Amino acid sequence: MQRRSLLKVLAAGGSLGSSLLPASLLAQDGEGTQALSVDELPALEGELTLYLGRGEGGLYENVLEAIQQRNPDFELNIRRGPTASLANAIVAEAGAGLRRADLFWAVDTGAIGLISNEGLARDLPDDLVNQLQDTFRYQNFAPVTGRIRTLPYNTERLTAERIPTDVMAIPDSGLSIGWAPAYASFQSFVTAMRLLEGEQATGEWLQKMGRVAKSYAGELGVVMAVERGEVDMGFANHYYTLRLKSGKPDATVDLAFTNNDAGCLVNASAIVALSEGELPINFIRYLLTREVQSFLATEAYEIPLVNGVAPPQGLPDLSTVSPPDVNLTRLADLRPTLDLMRDVGVL
Amino acid sequence: MTRWPISYPLAAVIALITAAPIAVLVGLVENPSEFFDSRNLDLLVNTLLLMFLTVCGAIIIGVPLAIITAYVRLPFAKLWLVLLAAPLAMPSYLGAFTFYAAFGPGGEIDNLLGISTLSASGLPGATLVMILYTYPFVLLTTRASLLSQDASLINAARTLGLSLPMSLFRIALPRALRGITAGALLSALYTLSDFGTPAFMGLDTFTRVIYVEYNAFGLDQAAMLSLQLLVIVGLVLFLESTIGVTLERPGRSLTLWPQRWQIPVLLAAVAPVILLAIFLPLGIFTLWLLREGSGGFELEYAWNSTYASLLAAAVAVVLALPVAYASIAGRFGRLMDRITYLGFGVPGIVMGTALVYVGLQLPFMYQTLGLLIIAYVLRFLSLAVGSVRSTAEKLDASLNKAARVLGASPAEVFWRVTVPLTLRGMIAGAALVFLEVMRELPATLLLAPTGFETLATYLWRVYEAGYFGRAAIPGLLLVLMSALGLALMLFGERRAEFNVMEDKKS
Repeated sequence: MQRRSLLKVLAAGGSLGSSLLPASLLAQDGEGTQALSVDELPALEGELTLYLGRGEGGLYENVLEAIQQRNPDFELNIRRGPTASLANAIVAEAGAGLRRADLFWAVDTGAIGLISNEGLARDLPDDLVNQLQDTFRYQNFAPVTGRIRTLPYNTERLTAERIPTDVMAIPDSGLSIGWAPAYASFQSFVTAMRLLEGEQATGEWLQKMGRVAKSYAGELGVVMAVERGEVDMGFANHYYTLRLKSGKPDATVDLAFTNNDAGCLVNASAIVALSEGELPINFIRYLLTREVQSFLATEAYEIPLVNGVAPPQGLPDLSTVSPPDVNLTRLADLRPTLDLMRDVGVL
Repeated sequence: MTRWPISYPLAAVIALITAAPIAVLVGLVENPSEFFDSRNLDLLVNTLLLMFLTVCGAIIIGVPLAIITAYVRLPFAKLWLVLLAAPLAMPSYLGAFTFYAAFGPGGEIDNLLGISTLSASGLPGATLVMILYTYPFVLLTTRASLLSQDASLINAARTLGLSLPMSLFRIALPRALRGITAGALLSALYTLSDFGTPAFMGLDTFTRVIYVEYNAFGLDQAAMLSLQLLVIVGLVLFLESTIGVTLERPGRSLTLWPQRWQIPVLLAAVAPVILLAIFLPLGIFTLWLLREGSGGFELEYAWNSTYASLLAAAVAVVLALPVAYASIAGRFGRLMDRITYLGFGVPGIVMGTALVYVGLQLPFMYQTLGLLIIAYVLRFLSLAVGSVRSTAEKLDASLNKAARVLGASPAEVFWRVTVPLTLRGMIAGAALVFLEVMRELPATLLLAPTGFETLATYLWRVYEAGYFGRAAIPGLLLVLMSALGLALMLFGERRAEFNVMEDKKS
């Protein structure tokens, strides 16, 4: 779907609905319910303030703008900032008895953990929660879109077959590797590894990696370094590679995946309701509609998490990669991960 | 005389308010058990090296440029000055990022021109970028200092046979030492607190540990580490305060008329700095703009940036005056002066959160433009204090006394003698605050009225999302608006010329 058309669809109401999706995807999935169309949602009336962890360069913006255009009696105020800063601000505001945000949309579930530990996150109704795929159902926050851990590799230097499908075997693969240990998504991945493989195996893995890997500031840097051939492969969230390729179609980088381990963890951006009432909840419903989810998938390369919307082009179906089943709230437990990474000297 | 100067109580109040965010940090530290991690010592070496090299570089580039822009009559002199100061408005993380993207094998310069360059990374890369984005501190404070010097000493030296370069070196520069160190101090503190540049260049510094903690929701740890960083800040502040002052009589400043052939040589010497600091990042962004296309930008952001920065600059200069005068008056004032600097050495993201706590003390103003301006002033007051002080402290008090003897009231002396003579310092201070606010990010994100976007916040948004092409237009506007704001302020310098010169025709 093009940007314009999302605006048009959401603004006009219209009868786009199911014609967007192949019929096979609309099948019922277990106890879950299918994603709704915007046409089935109540109109939003009133005013909300959203704290948005990071801006996504206009694409979230397009969604938010389209929701406002569709609901002329609804006013959305947006504050953007780094997720950790906004989370800290929300905690500080709550401490001062001043609530400014009705909603908090974070790129990182760790931030949600902080808010929910402070008792600031409101419960969500079941019918909303059940629209999400069954591994993404939580009582007091709604994952919006997912990102998967990937192994970007330089297509001129190697083929996907040379990359192990077991993340634990990667340090011994003899390939040169780029990573960003200070990057939050990487730390979530190490947290998942700790949960799945145990402290000791994770510590040894980090130690071996520390000897062969080259560090970068962020994962965009990793993907750029892979593309430039500074390293053979790297660790990064999927969308950096897909976006790089969309701007530079002849880029010498492609994605490989591990199988059913921390190496292909799916993490999510998530939204919490901070104030009481129906309006924030209904706003979240809009983000989980078929139209919004498929827009974010096609334009921002985010992975839709509701039932019945196709993943972005360039990514294999999640069922073929079989990501590990890790409770997202457990990824918020970062402290032991940082300690471990420091102990082995990679952070 | 036991009577305290009248500037003391005012300075004390202002300094204590600027120390409020530091007090917040102390309050945020919850368990001081792991007070110091010995592994942080390695980082300390990198941090100090980067700071030292950056300061040296900023002086080596900033001082000659200050001499050129202060004394040499070049065509379009103000334009050059404005362009040379503009890198201060460019967020250094964007500079670092484009350097990384431009240089090295596989970089944009290699791709486009086929010229292989060394990749910018590590300590050399970080130092280069930090120098390019902090030398204007030295340039502006030194220039103000040089312009407030009477040229007659240099003229005398030259009459006695000293060459021009030697007379500048032996007579002008020693008297500008306080201006140079005031700028060098700011460059040092900026380097200590910056995160983006060393991170891109793969240099491990103290700020990285702070950022990792902060982003892992360890606000208490981040606060504690920031306080540890303040130990270095304190040391630097102490060192700078030991530099002595020379008294000046006001007079007409030196003017050098270059020969025709010297003009292109001078411009060619100045050009690489501007090319690297401004045109390289803008060029890379433009390249990406052509590749990806643009969208989503509104001109309103440029206006927001500009007027918020101008307001903050004006308020900062007014508040800097009592602090600067207290600093000159005695030891207690000197201490108040040093306190205003502390906040500038704290990494921005931690400072932003501390300012949220401070702002929440004024709930009726929380997230209003007024509070945002206060936050800017709290962060950057020291920039104005340093500039005003380094110009004002050289003034010989006899002029004030003479005016008093001739019957002027203290207020009249202040407005008719002191202010005109320190106007250059005030303008330099305002320019520094203005430029630094133009690129300020964390406080703007957290404390601006909801929905208030500036060029810096927009640049951050597109950068975070990886849509670098969209940084081209706001990046260009950032340079343009900074230049306009500076031009406006430099216009005020003319007033100083009229007041000081005896003969108005020249």
